[in-house]
Amino acid sequence: MSSNTQSSNKPSTIDLVNKNLAKRYRAEKRFRGYGIASILFGLICLVFLFTDIIGKGYTAFVQNYIQLEVQLDADTLGISDINDPNQVAMANYMGVIKRSLRERFPEVTGRRDKRKLYALVSNGSGFDLRKQMEADPEILGTTQSLWFMADDDVDTYIKSYSKDGKVFTGRTDEMQQGWIASLIEADQVESRFNTVFFQNGDSREPEQAGIRGAIMGSLFTMLVTLLLSFPIGVAAAVYLEEYAPKNKWTDLIEVNINNLAAVPSIIFGLLGVAIFIGMFGMPRSLPLVGGMVLTLMTLPTIIISSRAAIKAVPPSIREAALGIGASKMQMILHHVLPLAMPGMLTGAIIGLAQALGETAPLLMIGMVAFIVDVPGGVTDPATVLPVQIFLWSDSPERAFVERTSAAIMVLLGFLIVMNALAVWLRKRLERRW
Amino acid sequence: METSTLFAFLVILMAAAFFLGRGRSLAQAQAAGGVRRLNSLPSYYGMLTLLWCGIPSLIVLSLWLVFDSVIIQQLLIQSLPADIRALAPAELGLKVNTIENMALTGMTAGAAPYELEAINTLNQLRGTSNTALTGLALLIAALAGFWGWSRIQPDLKARNQVEGAFKFILLACSCLAILTTVGIVLSVLFESIRFFSMIPITDFVFGTAWSPQMAIREDQVGGSGAFGAIPLFVGTLLISFIAMIVAVPAGLMSAIYLSEYANSKVRGVVKPALEILAGIPTVVYGFFAALTVAPMIRDTGTSMGLSVSSESALAAGLVMGIMIIPFVSSLSDDVINAVPQSLRDGSLGLGSTQSETIRQVVIPAALPGIVGGILLAVSRAIGETMIVVMAASLAANLTANPLEPVTTVTVQIVTLLVGDQEFDSPKTLAAFALGLMLFIVTLGLNFIALHVVKKYREQYD
Amino acid sequence: MKKTLLTAALAAATLAGTQVASAARDYITVVGSSTVYPFATVVAERFGKGTNFKTPNVESTGSGGGLKLFCNGVGQEHPDVTNASRRIKASEVDRCAKNGVNDIVEVLIGYDGIVLANSKKSEQITLSRRDIFLALAKDVPNPNGKEELVPNPYKTWKDVNPALPATKIEVLGPPPTSGTRDAFAELALEGGCKSFGWIKDIKSQSKKAKKAGDKKLSKSLKKKYKGICHTVREDGPYVEAGENDNLIVQKLNANPAALGVFGFSFLDQNADKVQGSLIDGQEPTFDSIADGSYPVSRPLYFYVKKAHIGVTPGITEYLAEFTSEKAFGPEGYLTEKGMIPLGDAKRAQVAADVKGLKNLSL
Repeated sequence: MSSNTQSSNKPSTIDLVNKNLAKRYRAEKRFRGYGIASILFGLICLVFLFTDIIGKGYTAFVQNYIQLEVQLDADTLGISDINDPNQVAMANYMGVIKRSLRERFPEVTGRRDKRKLYALVSNGSGFDLRKQMEADPEILGTTQSLWFMADDDVDTYIKSYSKDGKVFTGRTDEMQQGWIASLIEADQVESRFNTVFFQNGDSREPEQAGIRGAIMGSLFTMLVTLLLSFPIGVAAAVYLEEYAPKNKWTDLIEVNINNLAAVPSIIFGLLGVAIFIGMFGMPRSLPLVGGMVLTLMTLPTIIISSRAAIKAVPPSIREAALGIGASKMQMILHHVLPLAMPGMLTGAIIGLAQALGETAPLLMIGMVAFIVDVPGGVTDPATVLPVQIFLWSDSPERAFVERTSAAIMVLLGFLIVMNALAVWLRKRLERRW
Repeated sequence: METSTLFAFLVILMAAAFFLGRGRSLAQAQAAGGVRRLNSLPSYYGMLTLLWCGIPSLIVLSLWLVFDSVIIQQLLIQSLPADIRALAPAELGLKVNTIENMALTGMTAGAAPYELEAINTLNQLRGTSNTALTGLALLIAALAGFWGWSRIQPDLKARNQVEGAFKFILLACSCLAILTTVGIVLSVLFESIRFFSMIPITDFVFGTAWSPQMAIREDQVGGSGAFGAIPLFVGTLLISFIAMIVAVPAGLMSAIYLSEYANSKVRGVVKPALEILAGIPTVVYGFFAALTVAPMIRDTGTSMGLSVSSESALAAGLVMGIMIIPFVSSLSDDVINAVPQSLRDGSLGLGSTQSETIRQVVIPAALPGIVGGILLAVSRAIGETMIVVMAASLAANLTANPLEPVTTVTVQIVTLLVGDQEFDSPKTLAAFALGLMLFIVTLGLNFIALHVVKKYREQYD
Repeated sequence: MKKTLLTAALAAATLAGTQVASAARDYITVVGSSTVYPFATVVAERFGKGTNFKTPNVESTGSGGGLKLFCNGVGQEHPDVTNASRRIKASEVDRCAKNGVNDIVEVLIGYDGIVLANSKKSEQITLSRRDIFLALAKDVPNPNGKEELVPNPYKTWKDVNPALPATKIEVLGPPPTSGTRDAFAELALEGGCKSFGWIKDIKSQSKKAKKAGDKKLSKSLKKKYKGICHTVREDGPYVEAGENDNLIVQKLNANPAALGVFGFSFLDQNADKVQGSLIDGQEPTFDSIADGSYPVSRPLYFYVKKAHIGVTPGITEYLAEFTSEKAFGPEGYLTEKGMIPLGDAKRAQVAADVKGLKNLSL
């Protein structure tokens, strides 16, 4: 009986466990909850950022056009010989557009009012008309019904008109709003997909501004970065993994690489200014120089991920290759590198994605200039997407707000595509040993 | 010949050298009694010939291109009339530029006779240089290639030589990292030394007042001109600390959930989605912090009766924390995954719940790696620029109150280097001194982080 | 093959690099003030589209930074044009001359107003320059009327002037690296500072000393005067908000109690969000700045290196575009961007001077 009393006095282990079990399960649930909560927090931030950007920027992908009956008579244009390209280039296109506006609203008389009227269409309409004239000289002397881009203020007004009840008048006044209403009623306003945004370089007129220049600039910069950083990074990784003897020098290289991966990017900008521009005398604002600075920045990332990929190739493969008489170089080139390639490519893509979104070092080397011409090569002055975003965000014109967000969307699109590519590569080509 | 055409020619020559070298080795092998008589595989002989053909001529080519414009310019100046040559260097340089521009564009209207002559000379010189270069490069390629080709014999150790060259190139590539570091140090060190010769280093490191608003022109009136970096470092640390408070729990818990609880499907979607957060350009975060988060915090604070600045450290820190979440989570994810399954199985087998296993077995085992990852994240936070440029203040307050505005090292670097600058003023040089400090601090942090990871990493494999 | 590719890539990069360094520049480079930047870029763009010349490359480096780059010498690696939101100083002309930049053409293009504005969600404020000085200077005359300076004691606008609301003084403005800040100090703060007779006396004493030939005294008095009038307080109410004026506008929108200092063009574009405060009874409008009744406005200039004319293609044409009626005239496209045009006579004179490439004379 004694044992019986003992057990009733002292709870058995199983009882202890059972007593605590509910508490432990609660703790388990709580812990899981923390995990889910922190993931949700991250995802909510992501969604919040995206809705913020998209909400501000989606309107930039459409642009309102105004239809006008333009009489292209040679006298007003000042073209006496259509075959003279100089005359065609210098003709008074804005004059005919202004006249057609006056004809559309004949009641406008005062000088001030006329100016307001002319402000309905884009300042760059003359250049657009010139392009049409150059493409098709036959239209000289005819009357054409043509679509012109609306001015940025007008465009913003019309968009806010359709977006929600709150109308943003901005710099348009009541008279202009009256004209716009009359144009809308007559179906002479049309909103189209904003192709200009993808075709033009930067411009000070929001409706004429596009991201093509920045995209090409980014492309050339990334090209330089890829061409330099991938081969060098892979070579360095191969050396460190396969050849490097264990000594102080190797240690130094390793510490350096790991450290450079976490050096603030702005410091690479300082380096670019001092070495490439100061010492080598390269001009400012070139994708080539930008690409070289970004190469130095991404190199550590690529080296580290390439090393990881090389390390993941099992030693048995190396031993097998060496065992049947391959030299070290043959072993590396024929066996290790092909097997490590997916991992290295993934690293390269992630490094490039990081470089694509980088702003601070490029601010230092003069890629913040206003550049209208779309660059044609690595040695044309250019700017890149993130810098373009930075520049537009500082422009006074209201219509640049939506364009800034739209440019961010394009940049994010590129980044997501690159990251998705990396994930896909990793999944598709990765081998488990 | 255009340089690019010449380059293409060289590539063709090199390809030809490869096949010739390979062919010769094969021929010799046949003579000697089969490929097995060769020391190396035929393609190694080809490669060796290719290297001989290519490398010397490429070196000459690049040297020529580096120096030819200088030499041509000197020759051009020598050919100019004496009175022009006697001009001051700056004006002479301008004249030379005029001539070069005219030669380039062909717009020679209004050119003085001597200019026309100079344009001719220039064109001639350029033509000569080009022809000479083409000839020389191809000649060297052919000669060196031929020499390499003629050396081919069955017992030539082609493979060893090629591999030696290969190894050398690899070594050179990996040394680039050291060159970069040296470059960084050099590019900030000299300016910093100049700065410290004006402002004593003790004032900079231990000073508690930062106000670089000194006059940069004689007729401008600035502020007091104090260069004590402590408020900047305190501000930087404050913002980084807030960022870490956000990023470490959120990042760590997401990593734990993703690696321990989530099935592969959820993981496959959530992990890349979180990584997008790291990919968003920091400019975007800057706007988000300045325009959405900061006013929100301000209004909440005011409604609770607190006085909150609209540039509070809290706003910048919070947003920076959000940015760093994926950084922490992917680093910890790797480490947690590296903990062997056997440890978990053991713990679960003893009856502990999953969370107990994680807290008492997995995390302690992964702790060194996690700490290392967090230290790397801290150095990332310290060096982050665009968010704080847009959302943090420029006022250097020495405070630990997250509701007050503070400034950071990177903000000051950008402000000092953008806008009015004077390169002899301590104001501009201070940016480089700050850069140096930033580099040293992050270097120290990274060094500790890597050391921790290395030293305490448990070896399970 | 890897090695070959590698060498090829490296060699290609070196080649490209060296070729860039030796090619002659065939486009205009413009540096300088961030205030003139929006106007210079419009002209550059129209110039590039309307002519056969390449579009000039415009970089915003700040007035002082631009003049420094500009004065570094003649030659293709130095800019052809620099913009400035203030006139070039004698010290800078000397520096230019020392580096061989002797002949400079000065072009006055128009005016820019500096406004103090707050969010439309709160009341429009009427200030005098004296209020601004008292609210923002580092040291102010003792409120008890003694002729001495005390560290600025004012915390709210009501402390400064009982007619003003009892809100905390909070002004977002540019950092000292910005030309806008210089101009603001010179026009607004000094304007209010001068209203104290005894401070003004320091300046007149300085002038007297200069006349009497005592240069040292004159200089030190002048320095003292400027020290009083131009130094902005550093104890919190003046918040340095960086160079991004859009960000200031948006921060004002988020913080209705604060005031912001920025260029008129930003007020013009954001009229739905912010309103300009009245200064000395004048509201900042296009007309009040143009006729000079709004007190805080500054001239905008750009400077051209004469030695580069004819060397860098297109400079004369760029000058002509900038000073044509369709650009800087009262109805020109620059006014649409918020620049305040010059008077008719002045404009005609500038255009004529530019045509004749008249040398700068201070």
